Amino acid sequence: MELNLSAFLGQLLNGVVTGMIYAMMGIGLSLILGILDIPNFAHGVLFALGAYFLYSLFAVVANFWVALAIAPLGVLLIGMAIEYGGIRRLYPVGINYMLLLTFGLALIFQEMIILIWGPVGKSMIPPAGLEAGFNLGIVSYPKYRLFVMGLTGLIILGVWLFLNKTKYGAIIRAGVEDKEMVNALGINIRRVFTITFGLGSWLAGIAGALIVPVRGLTPVMGFDMLPICFVVVALGGLGSLSGSIVAGLIIGVAQSMIMLVWPVASIVVIFAVMAIILVLRPQGLLGIREV
Amino acid sequence: MVSQGQGFYSRWMPWLALGVVIVLLPFFVRPAIATVIWIFAILAVAFNILLGYTGLLAFGQSTFFGLGAYAAGLLLIHYKVHLFTSLLAGTLIGLVAAALIGRICIQRLGLYFVLLTFAFNQLFFFIAYQWNKLTGGEDGLPGVPRAPLQFGSFTLLDLSQPFNYYFLTAAVFLLSLAAMKWIVESPLGMIFQAIRENEARAGAIGYNVKRYKWIAFVIAGGFSGLAGVLYSMLFGIVPLDTIHWITSGDVVFMALIGGIGNFYGPIIGAALFIWLSESLSVIWARWPLMLGIAFVVVVLFFRGGCMEALERLWGLGMEKLKPGSR
Repeated sequence: MELNLSAFLGQLLNGVVTGMIYAMMGIGLSLILGILDIPNFAHGVLFALGAYFLYSLFAVVANFWVALAIAPLGVLLIGMAIEYGGIRRLYPVGINYMLLLTFGLALIFQEMIILIWGPVGKSMIPPAGLEAGFNLGIVSYPKYRLFVMGLTGLIILGVWLFLNKTKYGAIIRAGVEDKEMVNALGINIRRVFTITFGLGSWLAGIAGALIVPVRGLTPVMGFDMLPICFVVVALGGLGSLSGSIVAGLIIGVAQSMIMLVWPVASIVVIFAVMAIILVLRPQGLLGIREV
Repeated sequence: MVSQGQGFYSRWMPWLALGVVIVLLPFFVRPAIATVIWIFAILAVAFNILLGYTGLLAFGQSTFFGLGAYAAGLLLIHYKVHLFTSLLAGTLIGLVAAALIGRICIQRLGLYFVLLTFAFNQLFFFIAYQWNKLTGGEDGLPGVPRAPLQFGSFTLLDLSQPFNYYFLTAAVFLLSLAAMKWIVESPLGMIFQAIRENEARAGAIGYNVKRYKWIAFVIAGGFSGLAGVLYSMLFGIVPLDTIHWITSGDVVFMALIGGIGNFYGPIIGAALFIWLSESLSVIWARWPLMLGIAFVVVVLFFRGGCMEALERLWGLGMEKLKPGSR
């Protein structure tokens, strides 16, 4: 493939878009991990559910923006239900069972998606007004992807403000740091867990909904996304918002750049990047807590 | 902890029971399914050296299972190697891969360790998926022949017969089990358990905790590779799923459902799991849905009952590890 400047810039921007989506997934997962100490294996299917909810809602209301606002809320409710109805019962018996529960739920949701929406992938055009390209001078870039970049940036900023500037955010961060102490201070830690799980799920739902006009939908999109979130968290550090952003962008851009020179290796490279970084910096890039 | 000075009865009873089950099983289920049970039993017991004995929740055992299967499959297809060569090669590649991957993974603790083993699992999955020419990609690697068990021109066992292959697998399983039993009862196994019980203290006594975790990881990887070889010859194909992370998850589930506090527990888990999934897959193409529901229902509602039942079944005069690793 010929490497010219506009192709390079286009891929770089693609990498940033993908990276922002990865970052949102990573932040959501990292919140859940920080609170629960378990890898949430259902995080990938929550992403897929966000995408499929958007697709179906769009078919009903025929308005992308309404669908985009509502679909992630459905995922938020599912996330809270998972915590409230399942994981909450398992705090006394330990993380092995929580792990199994989320693994079982991942299987269930995955198969439900195939049952409801079929095994074949679907696609969707960007909403009216954002279909065309936007001329950036050197390269014309799809408006919708620029929108995704901007919106994910705003949402991440919003989550950062919520976590760092509000009282409830402080409680969540304290819960990530030291659950027992938060509980001892008289705060209903159970409710904090439910809300945190909901918040993390909501972020996954938005990421899934936003990606639909970019990549379309497939039933395996969640299972494909899951390991990438894990890598983002392992690299970025648990409970670190900025770590997830940095790690997400590094992986997204690296993946995108490899696309130009060696397309089949683009997914493998994610894990190679992770291995190299962890060999050089075993503690991860940034992280509040060393686990 | 493992109780010392066991009686003859409690020591040999499980082996006697296993012998009886091995002989009777192929009369109750199809020989192919019975073979799969012992293959996954090797995987689950090897995994339990990590989880039950060392306290390491590795979520990527299918990496080594898959690598062993692909390595043996390729050797058998292209070089028509001897049965023992294939078994050895699969074990070796499992050992080497676990040595390299483990070196990185054990740098991190707890959750990060889980994530890393999982991520490496995916790395190798995608390599197998993309490297079409070598692995057959999504379609799997077909045409793996079953090497006959022969010495020179003398054929001891014609393995193309399902029953013969079943008994070969069962024999490899029993040998692996004996080897793993020997390992966990050796001083090395005691160190593993010390790490599980209190990592900081094990380090303070002077054990190099990371090195011993690495050793446990490598041992489990080797046995997983060996199991992979048996799997590649069973159906004559190495499906891509062999190296998928869901297979790793299945292994974790087998160990947990069987009981990680007991050396033999994961064997029951493997048998139950394989039997259940095989029965379900005949009924409905979307059987993972029922499997997922079974996971959730067991975890939420029958956790105590299932474990207690197993304890009663297996606790009779048998050695017991401390239930649960945490």
